Amino acid sequence: MTPLLEVAGLSQRFGGLQALTDFSFQLPERELAGLIGPNGAGKTTVFNIVSGFYKPTAGGIVFDGRRINGLKPHQITALGMARTFQNIRLWNDLTVLDNLRLAHYHRLGYGFWSAVLRAPRYRRAERDIETHARDVLAMMKLTDCANELPKNLPYGLQRRVELARALASKPRLLLLDEPAAGLNSADVDELIRLIAWIHGEFKLTIWMIEHQMKVVMALCRHLTVVDFGRVIAAGAPEEIRNHPQVIKAYLGDEAV
Amino acid sequence: MDFFLQQCVNALQWGSFYALIALGYTLVYGVLRLINFAHGDVFMVGAYLAFFISTGLLAPEGLFGFSRELTLMLTIPLTMIFTSLVGVTLERVAYRPLMRKGAHRLYVVITALMCGLVLENGNLALLGASRRTLPELVDKTIYNIGGIAVTSLKLWVVLTAILVFIALHFIVTRTRMGMAMRAVSWDKFALPLMGIPLDRVIVFTFALGSAIAGLGGLLFAMSYPVLEPYMGAMTGWKAFIAAVVGGIGEIRGAFVGGFLLAFVEVMVVAFLPSTFRDLFAFSILLFILWQRPTGIFGKPLTTKI
Amino acid sequence: MRRYTLNILFCAAAVALVWLAQAEMLDGYVLNILMLIGINCIFAVSLNLVNGYMGEFSCGHGGFMCVGAYAGALISVAFFADSALFGEALFAPWLAPWLFPVILLGGMAAAALAGLIVALPSFRTRDDYLAIITIAANYIIISIIENIDAIGGPRGFSGMKRTVNAMADVIELPWMLMWTLAGVFVCVLVIRRLMSSTYGKGVSAVCQNEVAAEMMGVNTNRVKIMAFMASSGLAGLAGVLYAHIYGYVNAQSFGLLKSTEGLVMVYLGGMGSISGVLMAAVAFTLLIEVLRFVIPWLNETLHAVNLLPAGYQLDQIWTWVFIPLMLILLMQFRPEGFLGNRELSDVFPRLRRWITLK
Repeated sequence: MTPLLEVAGLSQRFGGLQALTDFSFQLPERELAGLIGPNGAGKTTVFNIVSGFYKPTAGGIVFDGRRINGLKPHQITALGMARTFQNIRLWNDLTVLDNLRLAHYHRLGYGFWSAVLRAPRYRRAERDIETHARDVLAMMKLTDCANELPKNLPYGLQRRVELARALASKPRLLLLDEPAAGLNSADVDELIRLIAWIHGEFKLTIWMIEHQMKVVMALCRHLTVVDFGRVIAAGAPEEIRNHPQVIKAYLGDEAV
Repeated sequence: MDFFLQQCVNALQWGSFYALIALGYTLVYGVLRLINFAHGDVFMVGAYLAFFISTGLLAPEGLFGFSRELTLMLTIPLTMIFTSLVGVTLERVAYRPLMRKGAHRLYVVITALMCGLVLENGNLALLGASRRTLPELVDKTIYNIGGIAVTSLKLWVVLTAILVFIALHFIVTRTRMGMAMRAVSWDKFALPLMGIPLDRVIVFTFALGSAIAGLGGLLFAMSYPVLEPYMGAMTGWKAFIAAVVGGIGEIRGAFVGGFLLAFVEVMVVAFLPSTFRDLFAFSILLFILWQRPTGIFGKPLTTKI
Repeated sequence: MRRYTLNILFCAAAVALVWLAQAEMLDGYVLNILMLIGINCIFAVSLNLVNGYMGEFSCGHGGFMCVGAYAGALISVAFFADSALFGEALFAPWLAPWLFPVILLGGMAAAALAGLIVALPSFRTRDDYLAIITIAANYIIISIIENIDAIGGPRGFSGMKRTVNAMADVIELPWMLMWTLAGVFVCVLVIRRLMSSTYGKGVSAVCQNEVAAEMMGVNTNRVKIMAFMASSGLAGLAGVLYAHIYGYVNAQSFGLLKSTEGLVMVYLGGMGSISGVLMAAVAFTLLIEVLRFVIPWLNETLHAVNLLPAGYQLDQIWTWVFIPLMLILLMQFRPEGFLGNRELSDVFPRLRRWITLK
């Protein structure tokens, strides 16, 4: 079976900085994989390249059998990839519901004139979008804050809204950039359950960056470890946990 | 060929004016990341100050009845000092309170634009529409170098621009204050570590930029002795274009951009109707900002997630 | 039905105004001011799309109004006037009321295309740099028009009164007032509908977090093109109306000062608030008119009590000291304007019962 996402030989330079070197990875459909590594190792760079925000210096990305190098981020989203961000990026002055509505932007099905003239096509599309957005809100237990502004919500809820927004775009692949960052222990447990549930319910493929071992070990079936922009280990969580190079990367030379 | 060289001399003179004004934009931008749109009008104020100071000092109508040489010697520092006061006042009254409040950058930009309008129209409202003429402070000697006429004034203008460049280079690389200015442009928060208060650096920057603009105003008024309130608007815009072309925030950029723009303009006027000059200048600006917003010397910026 | 109260009120007020004008109970001066208010409303509300909703800083909006004014004027003259430029009139005068919408649309289309001058650079440039691009665009537009001698160059262009008169010859009505009122209505409707649709909310998304917008499937470049073209197109509408009301256009009257007027109205009213900007447009237009009388009065009074030197006269240029000063103070003390980014209906939720947003 061909993998849903295939990354081969990815490299990225920023000026004199080699942020990523020869990164290769395959993500089969329905997998839940993790990308870990120390701070500044290049994890977010990988996500930024895969989601089209950076153009890689070298390497190829194939998503769902299609080469997506050089596509714009919004085109990649339209192909069925969605992501969340390390530091939450919601539209803070639009309501939560509007945030989810906007996730449908890549398949609105109407344009400027339909919107201004309130054409039947516009009415139909907006009705469908609204229904779907409310469905996702209900599933994510966010119905109560549909009309709140995200900036007025507590941090944990903001994270959940961001997740809901990503889901609302009906992705096949979900990239999560440190979903547990800044959450307290109880929230983390809740998040683990939530991600596991989403993974099954929406029949998704998920690739996540995460620092907290608890989350990674509970969820991921495959891990990739990067350090200084290079893959230093890959495999099942149990193998990774005892991999000498991984321990070295996290704890320094003395620990080995 | 003679015609071409003659035009080049003119371009050098205009380039000097542009460079002198562009420095003010560049210095302030380097320190505050603020485009001080009122700067062109500070230049205009400088020219008017030069007018009032020199007519006040000069014989026979002036209060003091000084000779022309003495008047010029006194007008230069006085114009620079008073113009820098205007610049510093702008910073104190209009920009600083906004910056303190952490207002959005655009609010400061709007304020700067509006301060420019207040200066222009305030001048017109107070002094009326009558045009003023600066008294002749130096004799116009015309040198003839290989068939090209060069007035002594033109030489002085170009020479001053070069001297200012050297002086500024010295200030920025050798003095404590100059190094502090460079430090601010890198990291505002590290500055107190150097033992220099941020506000003092900002005031110094505005004073320096405005003083140079005042000098430019004086030289401009001597070269083109008819003053009017809107003279700073267009010249200021051109100087700003020069600063952007060279890469705003870069001192060399201001000079290279100034001479480059002046050259293009002079050539446009030489071969096309003069009404095309502004069109070309602004089209260049648009194009540069579109394709290479950081100018010739600036380094490109990247967004981070 | 109750939700349509505001729309009905507007229509009723419009009908009343037209009737008053028809019965010649409004003198020409009042009529002109009313139309000027309408033009300023369109101008400010359209600028609000870019400066308010999209959070960009366009200071060259006057340029697009200029394009609209000239394009509308040219089409108008070509249609209904015998001119050296276009030769004989293309259409019989009785067609004027029917073809005036074509003139309006033509002006809007031309202005919308001119909006591309700013829209394309906005892909890569933001904030103060984009502000400069808009100013440059304003100068470039004016400079181009002044360099085309066929349309009058620096002397300006006229002849549109023929169209206005032709309309009046068909039926004696205050045509320009009616077109202006219709223009305001359409402009507000377009912006309102746009910004309440998911499509239009892409503009807010770009404003609030451009990276998230692009990553979540919003084609930010297309949003910017749409916003700039819609905004400048509506400014073009204001321009065509202006050209026909005054019967004469000159590129110089659409310079940086015109654009500044727009900025004052938008920031006075509150960025991203249609009702706020409408109120500001009315207040601002009236203020300028009031100053027209106050300044000479102040001049006489101050001379009478010997507070001003005899040789010095206060003149109208003080308006243009006063207005920038007002904006400076606004930026210092209430940068969010009358209403911030809220609508009247957000401030007074009860109003919602009377208003439909559709």
